[in-house]
Amino acid sequence: MMTPAAFTNLAAFEYADVLWTGLLMTLQISLIGMAGSVVVGLAGAAAITLRVPVLSQAIRMYVEIIRNTPLLVQVFFLFFVAPPLGLTLSAYAVGCISLIAWGGAYNVENFRAGLDAVGPRYQEGARALGFSRFRTFVHVTAPIGVRLSIPGLTNTLISVLKNSALMLGIGLAELTFVVQKLSADTFRTVELYVLLGVVYLVLVLLLSSFMHLIGRRYALAGGV
Amino acid sequence: MDDTSWITETLDLVATGALRTIALAATSVIVSVACGVLLGVLLCLPNGRWSTPARGILTAYLQVFRGLPVLVTLFIVFFVSPSLGVQLASFPAAVVGLSLWGSANVMEVVRGAVRSIPTAQSEAASALGFGWTSVMRWVVLPQAIKRMLPPVVNLIVDLIQATTLASLIGVVEVLQRSRQAVEYYQLSEGDGHATPIFAAVLLLFFLICYPLTLLAKRIERRITTPGRPPSSSLPAAEPAPASTVHADPANR
Repeated sequence: MMTPAAFTNLAAFEYADVLWTGLLMTLQISLIGMAGSVVVGLAGAAAITLRVPVLSQAIRMYVEIIRNTPLLVQVFFLFFVAPPLGLTLSAYAVGCISLIAWGGAYNVENFRAGLDAVGPRYQEGARALGFSRFRTFVHVTAPIGVRLSIPGLTNTLISVLKNSALMLGIGLAELTFVVQKLSADTFRTVELYVLLGVVYLVLVLLLSSFMHLIGRRYALAGGV
Repeated sequence: MDDTSWITETLDLVATGALRTIALAATSVIVSVACGVLLGVLLCLPNGRWSTPARGILTAYLQVFRGLPVLVTLFIVFFVSPSLGVQLASFPAAVVGLSLWGSANVMEVVRGAVRSIPTAQSEAASALGFGWTSVMRWVVLPQAIKRMLPPVVNLIVDLIQATTLASLIGVVEVLQRSRQAVEYYQLSEGDGHATPIFAAVLLLFFLICYPLTLLAKRIERRITTPGRPPSSSLPAAEPAPASTVHADPANR
């Protein structure tokens, strides 16, 4: 029988304030990471689609490097390499930058796939009406292509949220870090880790439902 | 900087870590693919007295381990298992954690690939008197397996990269070794040589993962049927489940 006293004895309530700060930090770096990665992804995909010389090749290289190396190593690289170069980056800054760079590389691919899938008849139609190549991109290709990228984008944004947990490696006090520390201090391991798992599952569910709503709201009427 | 003996010392140290990484990656890939394919096929069982609840359990397994960050899965396996009476050392715990995540993803790939085979195929086979097992064995899987290959190769790339997370539960793999090296030189020489050491680790992973990524792309191009538009890498915008699962490599 769960009495009120037993209920308030749960670690989730006893350490609510510490856990809350951890959750806020997770949300904060995840949101910055997601927003930044969308911007990077859009800019990169635009440069590749518009075939901007040099820049598009550089972006392709950036995408391949990020996608084919582990995020945790990228994080350590950034964290330990900056000081000798005369920059001191806090764990928070490294967390945000690496999530933006990582998610950005995947989003370049997501948006590029979406933009590629826009049928040539749309571009041809716009060019025939006298749109320049750039304006065709801005007013025709991008609005359609970005909508087509939403499923891939959703996966990447979810991954950015989940990967915010890796920042524990550089000592950033996000949710996983807080839980690990609390369980080491209090030995209430099972409770705390079950709670941690549930919180991440709920966050992922919320994010994917939100993206699903966005996908529905901006669905294309006729298909492409 | 004039003394370069640290290079050979670090290489020795990091090489032992690299072997550990390879062992971890190989074990996890084998277990993930074997369990994932088996469970994924079970997920495609037709409705039945016991297959419906079994499918429910498998779906829950899939959702949970694809939804959790891999790191959290590793922590749960490593830190929670002793409380449940199973003491796992860090290496086996890493294998279990990575395989839980990997097999859930393989299941999703298998399910997507099996669903992408037109139902007329299995219906025709059933009409010829094939049972469910035979339909799967002789008709559906031989076609589905081709579509599974690109996402599975991408998943192997992700698994190889995810082995670095095992350093956070104390597996002495390549990243852990290189961190030890950096720490050691930081203390003994005042210069950790962090830049070249971590750059070398990045390069090592790139050299292993990039060829696999290219392989996945090449297989995908080859199996893209002429009737389908070349934009098949587009995630889920078209009802082609094989490309839907391909959109997943980011999902870890």
